[in-house]
Amino acid sequence: MSDVQQEIFDIVSKQAKIDINTVKSESTLKDLGVASLDAIEVIFDIEEHFNINLPNEDVDFESGTVGHLVAAVERQIALKPANG
Amino acid sequence: MRRIVITGMGGICALGHNAPDIWQAMSEGRSGIGPIQRLDRNWLRNDVIAAQISDFEPRAYIDEARLALCDPLSQYALVAAGEAIRQSGLDFRHERASRTAVVIGVGAAGEETREALYHKLYVEHATRFHPLGIVRIMSNAPASQISMAHGITGPTFSVSSACASSNHAFAQAAMMIRAGMVDAAVAGGSEACVTVGVVRAWDAMRVLAPDTCRPFSINRRGLVLGEGSAMFVLETLESAQARGATILAELAGIGMSADAGDIAAPSETGAAAAMQAALQDAGMQPDAFDYINAHGTGTAANDSTETRAIHRVFGDHARQLAVSSTKPMHGHALGAAGALEMIAAIGALRHGIVPPTLNYLGPDPVCDLDYVPHEARAMPVRAALNNSFAFGGLNAVVAVRQAP
Repeated sequence: MSDVQQEIFDIVSKQAKIDINTVKSESTLKDLGVASLDAIEVIFDIEEHFNINLPNEDVDFESGTVGHLVAAVERQIALKPANG
Repeated sequence: MRRIVITGMGGICALGHNAPDIWQAMSEGRSGIGPIQRLDRNWLRNDVIAAQISDFEPRAYIDEARLALCDPLSQYALVAAGEAIRQSGLDFRHERASRTAVVIGVGAAGEETREALYHKLYVEHATRFHPLGIVRIMSNAPASQISMAHGITGPTFSVSSACASSNHAFAQAAMMIRAGMVDAAVAGGSEACVTVGVVRAWDAMRVLAPDTCRPFSINRRGLVLGEGSAMFVLETLESAQARGATILAELAGIGMSADAGDIAAPSETGAAAAMQAALQDAGMQPDAFDYINAHGTGTAANDSTETRAIHRVFGDHARQLAVSSTKPMHGHALGAAGALEMIAAIGALRHGIVPPTLNYLGPDPVCDLDYVPHEARAMPVRAALNNSFAFGGLNAVVAVRQAP
């Protein structure tokens, strides 16, 4: 598990108040009981943690999985040096 | 029970500076949405859009002494209330002053003033605060300014329930008239919410559409903020007839509910309960209605939830209804939304024209009603519902019908 994935799982499990071992790459936030404003807050926490901005296109609360989220964060981190 | 009619209407928003101009734009399907003006764009995303008021010269409406006390929140309210009161022909001399209420829905407050003061404090480290900050910012300022400008001395206050504020204000005014506490009321809503801080706060909730507002459409991406005010003169049918006033519409019923669920996600049962309550209060059956001016924000969640709620209340008749959202034209003006949309509902009753839902790209399977896409429709409208469903799960619905 990459550091990014580990940290995202950690943030999600804290917000969902569930054991980190129940978070899987293929779970959606909805599956984990994180819906509505809680889901938006998870995204915010992730943005704050990595100091990145996740565009709305990368955030699909209905069908996006935690794995998608990890990939989106890794993309933004890769873009970071280019953005200064 | 005392019947309540509407004898005056005024408004200001991105579509115009008076109610006839706003209605004209609505019936022609014009949009007031565009790139954000008047704000420092360095503080905003590049693609942020809004439905802002343009070419507004407050001095044409408000004297200098009063203007110094007014955030745009109160300026808009004074413009709309002045127009409504003039149209009604009411004056507030003698006993009429204390027998008239002012009830104004405001979702936020004087945000432009607040942000400018806080910018001075936190960014410029100013040592002095402008002394008129409080009286400009306070959310009761529009109600107070209207009462002062027109000498109305009856019950006067603001009502705040986010995006349902205006409809809750109509309800409070109607209840006071029915109770015999007053004989008339100036009721409506005002909002001046297109400020950097407010736009950024909405953006952070990920509900602002980057392209435009497309209620009930496939690929809708959220709401677009708007600003403005609309005000109405409500009075008893008896009083209007005795004065020989022109009656624009009857305010037939009001319905309110709380979801007692999620702070943000809408609820089908809560929305349906408010609509049902409005029908019951009006003593009207579902098939008496021809039009619903929907809350229709353009978010995925609101529009599908509102559609299910309409099915639940109207049953088989739901598919006979014209349902449109005028928010792609005037934007989502939060606390003023229900009042601006009352201009659409009254226009539909009086002129037999249902304003369209703009920017519709095609049907979404979870939004399966007749949304009057793209173009206004000529059709008789006997009665209409005006829906408002707020964050916080607070719902208020007003039923209006043709003048008796």
